[in-house]
Amino acid sequence: MRAERRGSTAALFGSELLTLFRRRRTVALLAALALIPVLIGVAIRLAGDAGSGRGPAFLDQITNNGLFVGVTAIIVAIPLFLPLTIGVVAGDTIAGEASHGTLRYLLIAPAGRLRLLAVKYLSAGVFCLAASLTVVVVGTLVGWALFPIGPVTLLSGSTVSVGEGLLRLLGIAAYVCVSLLGLSAIGLFLSTLTTVPVGAMAATAILAVVAQIIGALPQLDWLHPWLFSEHWLGFADLLRDPVQWASFADNALLQAGYILVFGALACGRFLTKDILS
Amino acid sequence: MRDQSSRTQNSTASRTFSRWIPAIVAPIVIGVGVILVPMQATAAVDLPDKTPAELVQFAAESPAQPLSGTIEQRSELGLPDLSGLTGALGGAGGDGSSAPAAASSADLEQLLSLALGSHTARVYLDGPNARLQVLDPLAERNVYRNADGVWIYDSAEKAATHITVDQAAVEALKAELQTGHADAGAGAEMPTPEAMLDQALARLDESTAVTVGTDALVAGRAAYELVLTPRDSGTLVGQISVAIDGQTGTALAASVTARGADTPAFSIAFTDVTFAAPDPAVFAFTPPAGTAVTEKPIPVPTAAELQQAKAEAGSGDAGSVDSAAKPVLHGTGWTTVVELPAGALGAPASGPLDTVTQPVDGGRVLTTSLVTVLFTSDGRAFAGAVDVATLQAAASAPAASSGR
Amino acid sequence: MTGFAIETAGLSKRFRAQMAVDGIDLAVPSGSVFGFLGPNGSGKTTTIRMLLGLVAASSGSARVLGTDMPRGVGSVLPRVGALVEGPAFLPFLSGAANLRRFDAADRSAGGRSRPARVADALDRVGLSHAADKKVHAYSLGMKQRLGLANALLVPRDLLVLDEPTNGLDPQGTREVRNLIRSLAGDGTTVFVSSHLLAEVEQICTHVGVMRAGRLVTQGTLDDFRSTGAVSVRLQTPDVADARAVLARLGLTVDAPAGTPARAGGPADATRLVTARLDATPPEAVVAALVAAGVRVRGFEAAHASLEQRFVELTGEGFDVVQ
Repeated sequence: MRAERRGSTAALFGSELLTLFRRRRTVALLAALALIPVLIGVAIRLAGDAGSGRGPAFLDQITNNGLFVGVTAIIVAIPLFLPLTIGVVAGDTIAGEASHGTLRYLLIAPAGRLRLLAVKYLSAGVFCLAASLTVVVVGTLVGWALFPIGPVTLLSGSTVSVGEGLLRLLGIAAYVCVSLLGLSAIGLFLSTLTTVPVGAMAATAILAVVAQIIGALPQLDWLHPWLFSEHWLGFADLLRDPVQWASFADNALLQAGYILVFGALACGRFLTKDILS
Repeated sequence: MRDQSSRTQNSTASRTFSRWIPAIVAPIVIGVGVILVPMQATAAVDLPDKTPAELVQFAAESPAQPLSGTIEQRSELGLPDLSGLTGALGGAGGDGSSAPAAASSADLEQLLSLALGSHTARVYLDGPNARLQVLDPLAERNVYRNADGVWIYDSAEKAATHITVDQAAVEALKAELQTGHADAGAGAEMPTPEAMLDQALARLDESTAVTVGTDALVAGRAAYELVLTPRDSGTLVGQISVAIDGQTGTALAASVTARGADTPAFSIAFTDVTFAAPDPAVFAFTPPAGTAVTEKPIPVPTAAELQQAKAEAGSGDAGSVDSAAKPVLHGTGWTTVVELPAGALGAPASGPLDTVTQPVDGGRVLTTSLVTVLFTSDGRAFAGAVDVATLQAAASAPAASSGR
Repeated sequence: MTGFAIETAGLSKRFRAQMAVDGIDLAVPSGSVFGFLGPNGSGKTTTIRMLLGLVAASSGSARVLGTDMPRGVGSVLPRVGALVEGPAFLPFLSGAANLRRFDAADRSAGGRSRPARVADALDRVGLSHAADKKVHAYSLGMKQRLGLANALLVPRDLLVLDEPTNGLDPQGTREVRNLIRSLAGDGTTVFVSSHLLAEVEQICTHVGVMRAGRLVTQGTLDDFRSTGAVSVRLQTPDVADARAVLARLGLTVDAPAGTPARAGGPADATRLVTARLDATPPEAVVAALVAAGVRVRGFEAAHASLEQRFVELTGEGFDVVQ
């Protein structure tokens, strides 16, 4: 049985990634994300310093150091734009195939339901990474082009070299990517419930907003540690000296819990589902 | 035929069910984990028994350990809005004529929010070096203490305050005081630490019941619990509990519970702690470019000045200008009331302060679960861990007004 | 491969209150070209979905290529090519990219030979020229061809084709027919579901007929035809006499009056009289007609056409069965 398997899951994963990233919609989503740091950079370049204490955190640091464009863009993107794009991609995973009718052909290829679900989730995860990297990398490039670049002042008041600053920016991208994995798992599950991809996409994005609204209500603070959005802004801990890895670990654990629960739900649903589309 | 189809029907149903098993098991596993891990943390610990006196001595004698750890401070004092209050005080100070008053109000605001707010912070200790790193969302406040003095840095304000003490003057003062002490105590018997502790405990015992609570795990370490219960029923404080590390004698947690309350109104505790010298780099601070730096040298008094100050305080000299702003104490022990004379808080509090206080006879009052503050109509302020009536009594006592 | 390529026992599917497939015992011999007939909504597609593991049976069992489904999905389906309820592709990918994608989903298909396999399959259905065109620019017929190409990516032991000629022009229909014949010639079992009875009649060796979720009949095409009543087609100008003779012999005469078979004089015109022949031998009928002086200008005793048979089994027309 095993010896017969000449084609690998990697091949399916590769083909899935190609399909995802060659799609014009995916490219448009990433372009929209890239627009955020571009707008921030250009606006500040034209209008000048916003002054301390106004606008998102780090905004006032940009004129001194262009490396903060990426960080500011992440802060702007994380409450809505990133969850929205993740919702589109994760909500489309299964429901999109179902609506095109290609789900039945993948399954009779046969892709294997569990294998297909895993590959779909992994490619949604890769999109999370691509999305957060897009914001950070484009932000850095825009900052590089429009503002002076220099040693980075951390929240603790200490200063690190440009190289370490870039490394920490990559760390932030990784943190944000991990932050979005729980939402992706929710999107995957919702996507197995319907053959209308827009429904799963909208539901995922709405959940992201609802979670953040609950997170802002002090009356519901007993619920806060359980929200997938609880540590979304915790990436700031990578800008401290010494770096507070605890929030990275807490966030990873929380997201792993969401992946476990919603992954299992998605499996339960998808493995027992009658494919009628 | 029937049999076969019903059998396959059963197997289909069981296969369908088995595929939902992970979805059922995953939340259970997580739920069990969520329940079990804290249970493990509160699992019974048994340290060798100590009497309250032994425990206090153990804690007092243990040398300060180099450590790094995370502390969580939770405050549910029932304050309506602390920022409103400090803002009001700061604003009031700013409206006043003197600049130092404004600065001290800003400091007060910072200190109040550091001391009374809820936050998570990292603590690093190593001999004379110390650092408190308050992890605010997308910002950070730091207090560094190193050979360079004390630095307070606020990333949101991008402001640093440098507090320096002339070390040479301190050394000189120490030396002078030591020789003076030696002269004074030449005839007296040198008290042993045990004797001093006994004395302290005995004095404490008059106002406070000191007991040893149940051993518990704090930040993953077995710790004793020292419980202080005020005997005076006039105070709002119900109980103070301090967790003392069974190995190093370091205080790992403290909480204050209001009288009649179940949960602490204020608690501060290590959530993790490592007893090892932190990397020396964590104590170093150089203000980054673009930071507003305020230098605050603290003058070191000479021995003579110190003597004089002591004498003034002892005689209760009310004539000097300074004493107008000096707090006056009424009562003793847990029901002590602090009186701040008029003008100590700058100009009389206006609008914003009204939003957090309620009018009572003779002024306005700010009530929290542990502390009550009375702002009298004539500008004085009374504070204490007591109820409003006690403060009003202190305010109307003739001794209080005689100070002016 | 011997025995049956597809074998079901009491296979049923219930969707809420409705029995879509109700205890069918399908037997598709290996090497046959099996025509799966039935009006819309008779349960053909649901049966096919159950055979391919897309839908779980409510009860009963199905064996495909000797393996229980859906347990054997992973080992059996690589040997099964299928076209289910029309072709479906991602419109924003080219035809070749779509095929590569489905091929990559098949664990048993090696990656190295993928481009060659895709090119071969496209060539086989005559789509090589449009391989790199995006599918949204394909016509219905081109999509149908691409769907067939997907079913033919690797050599298969069984082809399950749901309406394979749907949307194809006559030329394409003939090509598909030839394709099926040549595949069947190589020993591949072909399971074709179709509405086009003429097509089934031309290529199938076996048929099965579904009606309202039940398998009404199945067997070889010849058996299917011969089990139906034999009808008599008589051409004669002496309509009244002929009808009388036929009725006397106990035949059920179809039309009340003969229809003119050929234009001619009103008195001497040849008319067609049809009747159902039951147990009476045809030669006895002819003898009786001649003895009665009926001018027999043409006589034929033949089995009913497939369409007549189909209508007999499934009721009038292609109404959706509720």
